[in-house]
Amino acid sequence: MPSGSLLLQGVALGVLTGGVYALLASGLTLYFGVMRVVQIAHPAFLFLAAYLTYALNTAFGLDPLLSMVVTVPLFFVLGMAIQRYLIARLRREDLGMMSVLLTFAMAILIEGLLGLVFSGSYRSVTVDYATRSLDIGVRLPNDRLIGFAVALVTLAILFAVLRFSRYGQALRATMQHRDAARLVGIDTDRTTAIGFGIGLATAAVGGAVLALITTFFPAAHYAWIARLMAIIVVGGLGSVSGAAVAALLLGVVESVVLVSLDATWAGLVFYLFLFATLIFRPQGFFGGRLAERF
Amino acid sequence: MITRRLGWAAVLVLVLLAGGCGGTPEDPTAQVDSPDAATATDAPAGADTDAATGAATDDGTETTGAATETPAGDGTAASGEPIRIGVSLPLTGDFSEPGQGIREGYEVWAADVNDAGGLLGRQVELLFRDDGSDPNTAVSDYEQLITSEEVDLVFGPFSSRLVIPTSEVAEQYGMLFVEPAGAAPEVFERGLEYLFYAAPAIASDHYDYLAEWILALPEGERPATAAYASLDDPFAQGTAYGLRDQLQEAGIETVADEVYPPEQTDFSAIAARVADANADIVVGGTQFEDSVGLVRAFQELGYQPRLAAFSTGPTLPEFSEAVGGAADGILSPVGWSDRAEHPSNQEFVASHTEMFGRPPSEDAANGYTVGQIVAQAVEGVGCAEQGDCQTQLRDYIRANEFETVVGPLSFDEAGRPLAAHMIQQWIDGTVEIVLPEGSEVQTADIVNPKPEW
Repeated sequence: MPSGSLLLQGVALGVLTGGVYALLASGLTLYFGVMRVVQIAHPAFLFLAAYLTYALNTAFGLDPLLSMVVTVPLFFVLGMAIQRYLIARLRREDLGMMSVLLTFAMAILIEGLLGLVFSGSYRSVTVDYATRSLDIGVRLPNDRLIGFAVALVTLAILFAVLRFSRYGQALRATMQHRDAARLVGIDTDRTTAIGFGIGLATAAVGGAVLALITTFFPAAHYAWIARLMAIIVVGGLGSVSGAAVAALLLGVVESVVLVSLDATWAGLVFYLFLFATLIFRPQGFFGGRLAERF
Repeated sequence: MITRRLGWAAVLVLVLLAGGCGGTPEDPTAQVDSPDAATATDAPAGADTDAATGAATDDGTETTGAATETPAGDGTAASGEPIRIGVSLPLTGDFSEPGQGIREGYEVWAADVNDAGGLLGRQVELLFRDDGSDPNTAVSDYEQLITSEEVDLVFGPFSSRLVIPTSEVAEQYGMLFVEPAGAAPEVFERGLEYLFYAAPAIASDHYDYLAEWILALPEGERPATAAYASLDDPFAQGTAYGLRDQLQEAGIETVADEVYPPEQTDFSAIAARVADANADIVVGGTQFEDSVGLVRAFQELGYQPRLAAFSTGPTLPEFSEAVGGAADGILSPVGWSDRAEHPSNQEFVASHTEMFGRPPSEDAANGYTVGQIVAQAVEGVGCAEQGDCQTQLRDYIRANEFETVVGPLSFDEAGRPLAAHMIQQWIDGTVEIVLPEGSEVQTADIVNPKPEW
């Protein structure tokens, strides 16, 4: 059994990591909630953004957080284009299945491109403030704190936009009933495309955070696919706030298991929660009816 | 079955000789300068040759090396069929980085050999397959290379995880299997007769010099407690546990012993556990990502051990940058140094730098070592083909010592190399060889205790 201070340290790290998980998974809830699209390529886009952050950092000395000024708009436009020219062409009836294939192809494409341009070597962005930490009884590493803050801000903006803006209303209407939304004058195609764009824009933010806290290589995205999927299923597919709560919960449980048991068990946490969710509450532990989910 | 295939091969070879050879050496791929572009093979020699190489390319084999810079009519041009060597490597996927390194080593070796007139007067030609870091693909690659490609020799893949299954295939077909990267103790515990590991020492012996040095320290300076964190991988664990067992036996208490799976991306909590034990020496059985993750997390947690040793990660040049200058004082076992004065080492470094525009990695050196051992055996025995020749090659390797870029190597019955790894340390931003002390490879004195990170 770990000591009290170690356990406390584990919880603190878990909360910070959970915040980052919430950010990384937020795009996935959007794609699925809005479009019923399962986006396997989301982690690949995260690492694409991390590599762009790395490139901007090495070429111009740009701080990872500042590089979002470039990557976020870029990913937003890219996301709209992907939705408009690729996803929108899939048949509505088998969208779930076909989107898995399509986006998996994208993931492999991105991995290959990254390998070609950046080689298979490990890359990392080092800024001098990242490896220090805040000592308040437990140690809070600066890079995690920054990641957590960025996640908090991003999720707050996302939530506010979806909940309170006119666009958010249009998006929710599109989710509830596409045809009815069209009848009241909503351009559902445009709304959907913007939704996808926002989803991918979160990948740009997540990529910058990943670049700050971890090393990466082209095939790094595989480790994240199942983990992020588990988070959004536990959170209730399509619920941004549900995914955030699930991410925090899983982050903390994972970290506590890690400090008190070992790493192999900690890795299983995600899947145990996934199975429990599917058995006891298939709609997710935090999701309500689809219409109420934002 | 195999003899019938061999019969067909003989017929095929005759046809190829009759149809294809107008005095031009086979398949001047000449792609060695830009290996990444080496996908297409143009074989201008003749219709039959064209068909043969075309087929090879179709099922994903890339051919390089043969007749490099040996234009027709050149006085040094080798006669006869090239010696074809089959290799499966993880050129994509998790092990793509070291896989590419080993490929470079093989290619430099092939180019050097061909420039010098080939082996037994024949050119060598490498057939590469990409197994995507997947053991099943690697196994079927070697099956195909041996049976349908009917290669004359095979070279091993990267990492114990791929060496273990593929070496069984080679054994089954009685093919010599010299490999550059299967160092885990398990590799040698399966009674295989054709396997040899082309590096100075197996994983559990990597830290031998460090253990020796630690145990020779005076009582006050000697660490009393040790913490271990290792990737769940036969090689990585082999290195860390080799040291652990020696330290434990000498009374240095193990206060933490962590294992994490390969897909682990977050090392802060593992590091918290290790830091909580506050050991005098921390030992990582690591590859790159985890060594960086652990060092960064230790920094953040304020854990300052007196000594820190990590396998593999710190031996890569990008390590220092990745940990933001915290590399100073970190120790690692290393099998090869670009500064070592072993015969042929400086030539290897020069060839590699000329071919790829940068100095070789340790992986490339290990690949080159495989080539050197096999080349010496082939010249010694005087043959390179499937069948009885492979047994002669095996016996030759068992009985002889080999001059390689990692120093002189000889092997025991199970194929274990009988030399030792040096210990390197990052000192003021550069890598120095600090152990064994007083040897000719040593470039600096060991720094103890390490500076704070």
